[in-house]
Amino acid sequence: MIWTIGGGKGGSGKSFIAANLGVCLSKLGIRVMLVDADLGGANLHTFLGISPPALSLSDFIKKRVSHLREVLIPTAIPNLQLLTGAQDLLNAADAKSVQKQKLVRSIQSLDSDTILVDLGAGNSLSVLDFFLMSDGGILVVTPEPTSIENTYRFLKSAFYRRLKHSVFSSSVKALIDDAMDRKNEMGIQNPHDFVQAVRRIDEGDAQRVIEEAETFHPNLILNQVRSKKDIEIGFSIRSACLKYFGIHLHYLGYVVYDQEVSHSIRRRRPLVLENSRSRAAQCVMEIASKLANSHSMAIRDEEA
Amino acid sequence: MSIKGIKDQTYYEILEISPTATAKEIQRAYEHAKETFHPDSVAVYSLFSEEEVKEIEVTVEEAYRVLMDEALRRNYNQSHFQMVGGQPPENPSEAQGVSREQPSLLSFTGLSFNIEEEFYHGKTLKQVRERMGVELQTISKEIKINIKILEWIEEEAFEKLPALVYLKGFLKSYARSLGLDSQKVIEEYLRFMEESKKK
Repeated sequence: MIWTIGGGKGGSGKSFIAANLGVCLSKLGIRVMLVDADLGGANLHTFLGISPPALSLSDFIKKRVSHLREVLIPTAIPNLQLLTGAQDLLNAADAKSVQKQKLVRSIQSLDSDTILVDLGAGNSLSVLDFFLMSDGGILVVTPEPTSIENTYRFLKSAFYRRLKHSVFSSSVKALIDDAMDRKNEMGIQNPHDFVQAVRRIDEGDAQRVIEEAETFHPNLILNQVRSKKDIEIGFSIRSACLKYFGIHLHYLGYVVYDQEVSHSIRRRRPLVLENSRSRAAQCVMEIASKLANSHSMAIRDEEA
Repeated sequence: MSIKGIKDQTYYEILEISPTATAKEIQRAYEHAKETFHPDSVAVYSLFSEEEVKEIEVTVEEAYRVLMDEALRRNYNQSHFQMVGGQPPENPSEAQGVSREQPSLLSFTGLSFNIEEEFYHGKTLKQVRERMGVELQTISKEIKINIKILEWIEEEAFEKLPALVYLKGFLKSYARSLGLDSQKVIEEYLRFMEESKKK
Protein backbone atom coordinates (compact mmCIF):
# COMPACT_ATOMS: atom_id res chain seq x y z
CA MET A 1 0.00 0.00 0.00
CA ILE A 2 1.52 3.33 -1.04
CA TRP A 3 0.16 6.60 0.29
CA THR A 4 1.46 9.86 -1.06
CA ILE A 5 1.05 13.16 0.71
CA GLY A 6 1.24 16.20 -1.49
CA GLY A 7 -0.44 19.21 -3.00
CA GLY A 8 -1.29 22.52 -1.53
CA LYS A 9 1.23 24.95 -0.21
CA GLY A 10 4.48 24.80 1.62
CA GLY A 11 3.75 25.07 5.31
CA SER A 12 0.39 23.35 5.27
CA GLY A 13 1.81 20.61 7.47
CA LYS A 14 2.46 17.74 5.04
CA SER A 15 5.71 16.60 6.64
CA PHE A 16 4.30 16.93 10.14
CA ILE A 17 1.35 14.78 9.16
CA ALA A 18 3.45 12.27 7.23
CA ALA A 19 5.85 11.76 10.14
CA ASN A 20 3.15 11.49 12.77
CA LEU A 21 0.92 9.25 10.68
CA GLY A 22 3.95 7.03 10.14
CA VAL A 23 4.56 6.78 13.87
CA CYS A 24 0.88 6.05 14.59
CA LEU A 25 0.67 3.33 11.96
CA SER A 26 3.85 1.67 13.17
CA LYS A 27 2.45 1.67 16.68
CA LEU A 28 -0.58 -0.14 15.32
CA GLY A 29 1.78 -2.93 14.30
CA ILE A 30 2.03 -1.99 10.64
CA ARG A 31 5.53 -1.97 9.17
CA VAL A 32 5.92 1.52 7.78
CA MET A 33 8.42 3.03 5.43
CA LEU A 34 8.48 6.80 5.44
CA VAL A 35 9.83 8.16 2.20
CA ASP A 36 10.99 11.75 2.04
CA ALA A 37 10.57 13.03 -1.50
CA ASP A 38 10.14 16.70 -0.73
CA LEU A 39 12.02 18.64 -3.39
CA GLY A 40 11.81 21.90 -1.54
CA GLY A 41 13.30 20.81 1.72
CA ALA A 42 13.54 17.22 2.80
CA ASN A 43 13.49 17.13 6.56
CA LEU A 44 11.29 14.28 7.67
CA HIS A 45 14.25 13.07 9.73
CA THR A 46 13.98 16.17 11.93
CA PHE A 47 10.36 15.39 12.71
CA LEU A 48 11.58 12.02 13.98
CA GLY A 49 14.54 13.41 15.91
CA ILE A 50 17.16 11.91 13.62
CA SER A 51 20.23 13.86 12.46
CA PRO A 52 20.56 14.51 8.74
CA PRO A 53 21.12 11.04 7.32
CA ALA A 54 24.48 10.13 5.83
CA LEU A 55 23.00 7.84 3.21
CA SER A 56 20.18 8.50 0.84
CA LEU A 57 18.49 7.03 -2.17
CA SER A 58 20.93 8.77 -4.48
CA ASP A 59 23.75 6.61 -3.06
CA PHE A 60 21.85 3.66 -4.38
CA ILE A 61 21.05 5.28 -7.71
CA LYS A 62 24.71 6.21 -8.16
CA LYS A 63 25.65 2.68 -7.16
CA ARG A 64 27.69 3.71 -4.13
CA VAL A 65 25.86 1.00 -2.25
CA SER A 66 24.81 -2.27 -3.79
CA HIS A 67 21.44 -2.78 -2.20
CA LEU A 68 18.59 -0.42 -1.52
CA ARG A 69 18.30 -1.92 1.95
CA GLU A 70 21.59 -0.29 2.89
CA VAL A 71 20.26 3.26 2.54
CA LEU A 72 17.31 2.69 4.83
CA ILE A 73 17.52 4.56 8.10
CA PRO A 74 16.23 2.82 11.19
CA THR A 75 14.35 4.97 13.69
CA ALA A 76 13.92 4.68 17.44
CA ILE A 77 10.40 3.49 16.75
CA PRO A 78 9.83 -0.21 16.06
CA ASN A 79 8.31 -0.93 12.64
CA LEU A 80 9.31 2.46 11.29
CA GLN A 81 12.05 3.06 8.74
CA LEU A 82 13.01 6.15 6.83
CA LEU A 83 14.20 6.55 3.28
CA THR A 84 15.42 9.98 2.25
CA GLY A 85 16.72 11.42 -0.95
CA ALA A 86 13.71 10.35 -2.94
CA GLN A 87 13.66 13.84 -4.38
CA ASP A 88 16.33 12.57 -6.76
CA LEU A 89 13.85 10.00 -7.89
CA LEU A 90 11.38 12.72 -8.77
CA ASN A 91 13.98 15.00 -10.24
CA ALA A 92 16.13 12.77 -12.33
CA ALA A 93 13.75 10.19 -13.56
CA ASP A 94 11.47 12.53 -15.45
CA ALA A 95 12.79 11.55 -18.84
CA LYS A 96 13.58 7.95 -18.07
CA SER A 97 10.34 6.72 -16.66
CA VAL A 98 11.43 3.09 -17.00
CA GLN A 99 14.10 3.76 -14.43
CA LYS A 100 11.55 5.44 -12.21
CA GLN A 101 9.18 2.49 -12.43
CA LYS A 102 12.03 0.17 -11.60
CA LEU A 103 13.00 2.18 -8.55
CA VAL A 104 9.45 2.35 -7.34
CA ARG A 105 9.23 -1.38 -7.67
CA SER A 106 12.40 -1.96 -5.69
CA ILE A 107 11.09 0.37 -2.96
CA GLN A 108 7.89 -1.63 -2.93
CA SER A 109 9.80 -4.89 -2.66
CA LEU A 110 11.36 -3.75 0.60
CA ASP A 111 10.07 -5.20 3.82
CA SER A 112 7.14 -2.99 4.69
CA ASP A 113 3.37 -3.05 4.75
CA THR A 114 2.79 0.59 4.09
CA ILE A 115 4.83 3.19 2.29
CA LEU A 116 4.14 6.78 3.16
CA VAL A 117 5.65 9.28 0.75
CA ASP A 118 5.99 12.95 1.58
CA LEU A 119 5.92 14.65 -1.82
CA GLY A 120 6.22 18.20 -0.59
CA ALA A 121 4.46 21.09 -2.24
CA GLY A 122 5.78 20.46 -5.73
CA ASN A 123 3.56 20.51 -8.76
CA SER A 124 5.90 19.01 -11.36
CA LEU A 125 4.78 16.27 -13.71
CA SER A 126 6.92 13.82 -11.85
CA VAL A 127 5.27 14.66 -8.53
CA LEU A 128 1.86 14.40 -10.17
CA ASP A 129 2.71 10.98 -11.61
CA PHE A 130 3.82 9.76 -8.25
CA PHE A 131 0.64 11.06 -6.67
CA LEU A 132 -1.44 9.28 -9.31
CA MET A 133 0.60 6.09 -9.18
CA SER A 134 0.00 5.59 -5.46
CA ASP A 135 -2.89 3.64 -4.00
CA GLY A 136 -4.04 6.73 -2.16
CA GLY A 137 -3.07 10.34 -2.70
CA ILE A 138 -3.58 12.57 0.30
CA LEU A 139 -3.92 16.34 0.06
CA VAL A 140 -3.13 18.41 3.12
CA VAL A 141 -4.91 21.75 3.18
CA THR A 142 -5.32 24.51 5.71
CA PRO A 143 -8.63 26.40 5.77
CA GLU A 144 -7.15 29.46 4.09
CA PRO A 145 -7.94 30.73 0.61
CA THR A 146 -4.32 30.55 -0.51
CA SER A 147 -3.91 26.97 0.58
CA ILE A 148 -7.19 25.90 -0.98
CA GLU A 149 -6.36 27.73 -4.20
CA ASN A 150 -3.07 25.87 -4.53
CA THR A 151 -4.71 22.58 -3.74
CA TYR A 152 -7.24 23.09 -6.50
CA ARG A 153 -4.43 23.96 -8.87
CA PHE A 154 -2.66 20.74 -7.94
CA LEU A 155 -5.87 18.75 -8.21
CA LYS A 156 -6.63 20.23 -11.61
CA SER A 157 -3.18 19.28 -12.88
CA ALA A 158 -3.45 15.79 -11.43
CA PHE A 159 -6.95 15.37 -12.84
CA TYR A 160 -6.02 16.27 -16.40
CA ARG A 161 -2.76 14.34 -16.12
CA ARG A 162 -4.74 11.27 -15.18
CA LEU A 163 -7.09 11.77 -18.10
CA LYS A 164 -4.19 12.22 -20.47
CA HIS A 165 -2.87 8.79 -19.52
CA SER A 166 -6.24 7.21 -20.23
CA VAL A 167 -7.28 8.57 -23.62
CA PHE A 168 -6.11 7.26 -26.98
CA SER A 169 -6.78 9.96 -29.52
CA SER A 170 -3.93 12.40 -30.01
CA SER A 171 -6.30 15.26 -30.69
CA VAL A 172 -7.96 14.59 -27.35
CA LYS A 173 -4.55 14.65 -25.70
CA ALA A 174 -3.91 18.00 -27.34
CA LEU A 175 -7.30 19.18 -26.14
CA ILE A 176 -6.26 18.37 -22.56
CA ASP A 177 -3.34 20.76 -22.86
CA ASP A 178 -5.75 23.42 -24.06
CA ALA A 179 -8.25 22.73 -21.31
CA MET A 180 -5.57 23.29 -18.65
CA ASP A 181 -5.41 26.89 -19.76
CA ARG A 182 -8.57 28.62 -18.70
CA LYS A 183 -8.16 31.27 -21.35
CA ASN A 184 -8.17 28.67 -24.11
CA GLU A 185 -9.75 29.51 -27.43
CA MET A 186 -12.09 26.55 -27.33
CA GLY A 187 -14.09 28.14 -24.51
CA ILE A 188 -13.46 25.18 -22.21
CA GLN A 189 -14.08 26.59 -18.75
CA ASN A 190 -14.41 23.41 -16.73
CA PRO A 191 -14.27 19.61 -16.92
CA HIS A 192 -17.86 19.52 -18.10
CA ASP A 193 -17.08 21.71 -21.12
CA PHE A 194 -14.06 19.51 -21.67
CA VAL A 195 -16.08 16.31 -21.81
CA GLN A 196 -18.47 17.91 -24.27
CA ALA A 197 -15.52 18.87 -26.46
CA VAL A 198 -14.05 15.37 -26.24
CA ARG A 199 -17.38 13.89 -27.19
CA ARG A 200 -17.28 15.84 -30.44
CA ILE A 201 -13.93 14.24 -31.26
CA ASP A 202 -14.18 10.70 -29.97
CA GLU A 203 -17.09 9.14 -28.07
CA GLY A 204 -14.90 6.32 -26.75
CA ASP A 205 -12.45 8.73 -25.21
CA ALA A 206 -15.32 10.70 -23.69
CA GLN A 207 -16.47 7.52 -21.94
CA ARG A 208 -12.94 6.83 -20.74
CA VAL A 209 -12.67 10.36 -19.39
CA ILE A 210 -15.89 9.96 -17.43
CA GLU A 211 -14.74 6.63 -16.03
CA GLU A 212 -11.40 8.06 -14.99
CA ALA A 213 -13.13 10.89 -13.16
CA GLU A 214 -15.41 8.45 -11.39
CA THR A 215 -12.57 6.27 -10.20
CA PHE A 216 -10.32 9.10 -9.07
CA HIS A 217 -10.61 9.29 -5.28
CA PRO A 218 -8.04 11.60 -3.75
CA ASN A 219 -8.10 12.07 0.01
CA LEU A 220 -8.22 15.28 1.98
CA ILE A 221 -6.87 16.23 5.39
CA LEU A 222 -7.72 19.66 6.71
CA ASN A 223 -4.94 20.91 8.95
CA GLN A 224 -4.83 23.70 11.51
CA VAL A 225 -8.56 24.05 11.92
CA ARG A 226 -9.62 26.51 14.58
CA SER A 227 -13.39 26.26 14.62
CA LYS A 228 -16.33 24.14 13.70
CA LYS A 229 -16.78 26.33 10.66
CA ASP A 230 -13.26 25.43 9.54
CA ILE A 231 -14.12 21.74 9.77
CA GLU A 232 -17.11 22.37 7.53
CA ILE A 233 -14.79 23.77 4.87
CA GLY A 234 -13.56 20.24 4.28
CA PHE A 235 -17.07 19.17 3.37
CA SER A 236 -17.47 22.22 1.19
CA ILE A 237 -14.27 21.37 -0.67
CA ARG A 238 -15.62 17.89 -1.18
CA SER A 239 -18.89 19.24 -2.59
CA ALA A 240 -17.08 21.74 -4.80
CA CYS A 241 -14.90 18.96 -6.26
CA LEU A 242 -17.93 16.81 -6.94
CA LYS A 243 -19.71 19.63 -8.77
CA TYR A 244 -16.66 20.81 -10.65
CA PHE A 245 -14.65 17.68 -11.50
CA GLY A 246 -17.28 15.04 -10.87
CA ILE A 247 -14.80 13.34 -8.55
CA HIS A 248 -15.40 11.92 -5.12
CA LEU A 249 -12.91 13.42 -2.74
CA HIS A 250 -12.60 11.48 0.48
CA TYR A 251 -12.47 13.73 3.55
CA LEU A 252 -10.14 11.69 5.73
CA GLY A 253 -10.26 14.05 8.66
CA TYR A 254 -8.97 17.21 10.22
CA VAL A 255 -6.24 18.21 12.63
CA VAL A 256 -6.96 21.06 15.03
CA TYR A 257 -4.62 24.00 15.44
CA ASP A 258 -2.56 23.28 18.51
CA GLN A 259 0.47 25.01 20.04
CA GLU A 260 1.72 21.59 21.01
CA VAL A 261 2.52 20.94 17.36
CA SER A 262 5.20 23.59 17.14
CA HIS A 263 6.48 22.64 20.59
CA SER A 264 6.98 19.07 19.46
CA ILE A 265 8.72 20.19 16.25
CA ARG A 266 11.10 22.37 18.27
CA ARG A 267 11.88 19.45 20.49
CA ARG A 268 12.34 17.33 17.34
CA ARG A 269 9.99 14.70 18.66
CA PRO A 270 6.88 13.34 16.95
CA LEU A 271 3.84 14.91 18.60
CA VAL A 272 2.02 11.59 18.93
CA LEU A 273 4.87 10.33 21.12
CA GLU A 274 5.74 13.57 22.87
CA ASN A 275 2.22 14.56 23.78
CA SER A 276 -0.20 11.90 22.70
CA ARG A 277 -3.03 13.45 24.67
CA SER A 278 -2.87 16.78 22.90
CA ARG A 279 -5.83 17.55 20.69
CA ALA A 280 -3.80 17.58 17.50
CA ALA A 281 -2.26 14.20 18.32
CA GLN A 282 -5.73 12.77 18.90
CA CYS A 283 -6.79 13.99 15.48
CA VAL A 284 -3.77 12.43 13.78
CA MET A 285 -4.39 9.13 15.54
CA GLU A 286 -7.94 9.08 14.33
CA ILE A 287 -6.80 9.58 10.75
CA ALA A 288 -4.15 6.89 11.18
CA SER A 289 -6.74 4.40 12.32
CA LYS A 290 -8.75 5.14 9.19
CA LEU A 291 -5.69 4.47 7.05
CA ALA A 292 -5.00 1.28 8.98
CA ASN A 293 -8.57 0.23 8.31
CA SER A 294 -8.30 0.68 4.58
CA HIS A 295 -4.96 -1.06 4.81
CA SER A 296 -6.50 -4.18 6.31
CA MET A 297 -9.33 -3.97 3.81
CA ALA A 298 -6.82 -3.93 0.97
CA ILE A 299 -5.17 -7.05 2.39
CA ARG A 300 -8.51 -8.76 2.61
CA ASP A 301 -9.20 -7.89 -1.02
CA GLU A 302 -5.87 -9.34 -2.06
CA GLU A 303 -6.51 -12.55 -0.19
CA ALA A 304 -10.02 -12.89 -1.51
CA MET B 1 -22.38 10.82 -10.75
CA SER B 2 -20.22 11.86 -13.64
CA ILE B 3 -19.00 15.13 -15.00
CA LYS B 4 -22.33 16.78 -15.59
CA GLY B 5 -23.26 20.36 -16.15
CA ILE B 6 -25.38 21.97 -13.47
CA LYS B 7 -28.39 21.89 -15.78
CA ASP B 8 -27.99 18.16 -16.37
CA GLN B 9 -27.98 17.26 -12.70
CA THR B 10 -31.12 16.17 -10.95
CA TYR B 11 -32.22 18.09 -7.89
CA TYR B 12 -31.00 15.15 -5.85
CA GLU B 13 -27.57 15.35 -7.40
CA ILE B 14 -27.52 19.09 -6.88
CA LEU B 15 -28.08 18.59 -3.15
CA GLU B 16 -25.99 15.39 -3.03
CA ILE B 17 -28.76 13.32 -1.55
CA SER B 18 -30.47 10.09 -2.51
CA PRO B 19 -33.89 10.15 -4.18
CA THR B 20 -35.33 8.67 -0.99
CA ALA B 21 -33.96 11.45 1.24
CA THR B 22 -36.18 12.53 4.13
CA ALA B 23 -37.17 16.14 4.77
CA LYS B 24 -34.55 16.30 7.49
CA GLU B 25 -31.84 15.13 5.13
CA ILE B 26 -32.93 17.59 2.49
CA GLN B 27 -32.85 20.40 5.03
CA ARG B 28 -29.36 19.47 6.14
CA ALA B 29 -28.11 19.11 2.57
CA TYR B 30 -29.61 22.47 1.70
CA GLU B 31 -27.90 24.20 4.60
CA HIS B 32 -24.61 22.64 3.56
CA ALA B 33 -25.05 23.66 -0.08
CA LYS B 34 -25.88 27.22 0.94
CA GLU B 35 -22.81 27.32 3.14
CA THR B 36 -20.67 26.01 0.27
CA PHE B 37 -21.93 27.76 -2.83
CA HIS B 38 -21.87 31.50 -2.45
CA PRO B 39 -19.49 33.99 -4.05
CA ASP B 40 -17.37 34.47 -0.91
CA SER B 41 -17.02 30.80 -0.05
CA VAL B 42 -13.32 29.88 0.20
CA ALA B 43 -14.11 26.45 -1.14
CA VAL B 44 -15.48 27.62 -4.48
CA TYR B 45 -14.26 31.03 -5.58
CA SER B 46 -11.08 29.77 -7.22
CA LEU B 47 -12.75 26.84 -8.93
CA PHE B 48 -15.90 28.36 -10.35
CA SER B 49 -16.60 31.61 -12.10
CA GLU B 50 -19.05 34.03 -10.51
CA GLU B 51 -21.70 33.08 -13.05
CA GLU B 52 -21.23 29.41 -12.30
CA VAL B 53 -21.62 29.98 -8.57
CA LYS B 54 -24.74 32.03 -9.22
CA GLU B 55 -26.16 29.25 -11.36
CA ILE B 56 -25.53 26.68 -8.64
CA GLU B 57 -27.03 28.95 -5.99
CA VAL B 58 -30.20 29.40 -7.99
CA THR B 59 -30.45 25.69 -8.70
CA VAL B 60 -29.93 24.80 -5.05
CA GLU B 61 -32.81 27.09 -4.07
CA GLU B 62 -34.98 25.59 -6.77
CA ALA B 63 -34.09 22.04 -5.75
CA TYR B 64 -34.87 22.77 -2.12
CA ARG B 65 -38.14 24.46 -2.96
CA VAL B 66 -39.33 21.57 -5.09
CA LEU B 67 -38.10 18.67 -2.97
CA MET B 68 -39.48 20.09 0.27
CA ASP B 69 -42.95 20.29 -1.16
CA GLU B 70 -44.56 16.89 -1.31
CA ALA B 71 -46.71 17.57 -4.36
CA LEU B 72 -43.94 19.28 -6.29
CA ARG B 73 -41.54 16.52 -5.44
CA ARG B 74 -43.91 13.86 -6.65
CA ASN B 75 -44.37 15.72 -9.92
CA TYR B 76 -40.67 16.17 -10.26
CA ASN B 77 -39.96 12.50 -9.65
CA GLN B 78 -42.55 11.46 -12.18
CA SER B 79 -41.28 13.71 -14.91
CA HIS B 80 -37.68 12.98 -14.08
CA PHE B 81 -37.93 9.24 -13.97
CA GLN B 82 -39.93 9.31 -17.17
CA MET B 83 -37.10 11.22 -18.74
CA VAL B 84 -34.57 8.68 -17.61
CA GLY B 85 -36.65 5.66 -18.48
CA GLY B 86 -37.51 6.88 -21.94
CA GLN B 87 -35.35 7.64 -24.90
CA PRO B 88 -32.43 10.09 -24.70
CA PRO B 89 -33.44 12.96 -22.44
CA GLU B 90 -34.24 15.40 -25.19
CA ASN B 91 -36.28 18.54 -25.01
CA PRO B 92 -39.88 17.37 -25.46
CA SER B 93 -40.17 15.39 -22.23
CA GLU B 94 -38.18 18.02 -20.39
CA ALA B 95 -40.50 20.75 -21.56
CA GLN B 96 -43.42 18.59 -20.53
CA GLY B 97 -41.99 18.26 -17.04
CA VAL B 98 -41.61 21.98 -16.71
CA SER B 99 -45.08 22.79 -17.89
CA ARG B 100 -46.53 20.29 -15.49
CA GLU B 101 -44.71 21.89 -12.60
CA GLN B 102 -45.76 25.38 -13.52
CA PRO B 103 -49.25 25.68 -11.96
CA SER B 104 -48.26 24.35 -8.56
CA LEU B 105 -45.15 26.48 -8.71
CA LEU B 106 -47.32 29.59 -8.81
CA SER B 107 -49.52 28.51 -5.96
CA PHE B 108 -46.41 27.77 -4.00
CA THR B 109 -44.96 31.24 -4.31
CA GLY B 110 -48.25 32.37 -2.84
CA LEU B 111 -47.10 30.86 0.43
CA SER B 112 -43.98 32.97 0.19
CA PHE B 113 -41.34 31.31 2.19
CA ASN B 114 -38.06 33.06 2.38
CA ILE B 115 -35.63 32.15 5.11
CA GLU B 116 -32.51 32.32 3.00
CA GLU B 117 -31.82 35.94 3.76
CA GLU B 118 -33.00 35.64 7.32
CA PHE B 119 -31.27 34.35 10.40
CA TYR B 120 -32.76 31.91 12.85
CA HIS B 121 -35.19 33.15 15.41
CA GLY B 122 -38.50 31.82 16.67
CA LYS B 123 -40.56 32.57 13.60
CA THR B 124 -38.08 31.21 11.09
CA LEU B 125 -37.59 28.06 13.13
CA LYS B 126 -41.33 27.57 13.12
CA GLN B 127 -41.42 28.11 9.38
CA VAL B 128 -38.75 25.50 8.81
CA ARG B 129 -40.62 23.04 10.98
CA GLU B 130 -43.94 23.62 9.28
CA ARG B 131 -42.21 23.39 5.96
CA MET B 132 -41.06 19.93 6.90
CA GLY B 133 -44.57 19.06 7.99
CA VAL B 134 -43.51 18.11 11.52
CA GLU B 135 -45.83 18.66 14.47
CA LEU B 136 -44.36 20.30 17.54
CA GLN B 137 -45.87 17.45 19.52
CA THR B 138 -43.73 14.95 17.61
CA ILE B 139 -40.54 16.88 18.22
CA SER B 140 -41.40 17.32 21.87
CA LYS B 141 -41.69 13.55 22.22
CA GLU B 142 -38.61 12.85 20.19
CA ILE B 143 -36.25 15.14 22.08
CA LYS B 144 -38.11 14.92 25.41
CA ILE B 145 -38.60 18.62 25.89
CA ASN B 146 -41.84 20.03 27.21
CA ILE B 147 -43.95 21.28 24.31
CA LYS B 148 -44.64 24.51 26.18
CA ILE B 149 -40.96 25.40 26.06
CA LEU B 150 -40.79 24.66 22.35
CA GLU B 151 -43.81 26.87 21.82
CA TRP B 152 -42.18 29.69 23.77
CA ILE B 153 -39.07 29.30 21.69
CA GLU B 154 -41.06 29.59 18.50
CA GLU B 155 -43.24 32.40 19.82
CA GLU B 156 -40.18 34.25 21.06
CA ALA B 157 -41.74 34.51 24.54
CA PHE B 158 -38.36 35.38 25.95
CA GLU B 159 -39.60 36.32 29.41
CA LYS B 160 -40.95 32.80 29.87
CA LEU B 161 -37.90 30.94 28.63
CA PRO B 162 -35.65 29.15 31.13
CA ALA B 163 -32.14 30.24 32.12
CA LEU B 164 -29.54 30.56 29.39
CA VAL B 165 -27.70 27.31 30.08
CA TYR B 166 -30.92 25.33 29.74
CA LEU B 167 -32.14 27.32 26.79
CA LYS B 168 -28.95 26.55 24.90
CA GLY B 169 -29.43 22.85 25.42
CA PHE B 170 -33.07 23.05 24.32
CA LEU B 171 -32.19 25.02 21.23
CA LYS B 172 -29.50 22.52 20.38
CA SER B 173 -31.82 19.52 20.55
CA TYR B 174 -34.55 21.38 18.73
CA ALA B 175 -32.22 22.51 15.93
CA ARG B 176 -30.84 19.03 15.53
CA SER B 177 -34.25 17.45 15.31
CA LEU B 178 -34.91 19.74 12.37
CA GLY B 179 -31.57 18.89 10.83
CA LEU B 180 -30.28 22.43 11.28
CA ASP B 181 -26.82 23.60 12.21
CA SER B 182 -27.34 23.74 15.98
CA GLN B 183 -24.45 26.08 16.70
CA LYS B 184 -25.73 28.56 14.16
CA VAL B 185 -29.24 28.35 15.54
CA ILE B 186 -28.08 28.93 19.11
CA GLU B 187 -25.85 31.83 18.15
CA GLU B 188 -28.46 33.59 16.07
CA TYR B 189 -31.36 32.90 18.36
CA LEU B 190 -29.52 34.25 21.40
CA ARG B 191 -28.33 37.29 19.50
CA PHE B 192 -31.87 37.97 18.38
CA MET B 193 -33.14 37.56 21.92
CA GLU B 194 -30.45 39.89 23.22
CA GLU B 195 -31.37 42.58 20.72
CA SER B 196 -35.09 42.24 21.31
CA LYS B 197 -34.61 42.67 25.03
CA LYS B 198 -32.72 45.88 24.51
CA LYS B 199 -35.59 47.44 22.65
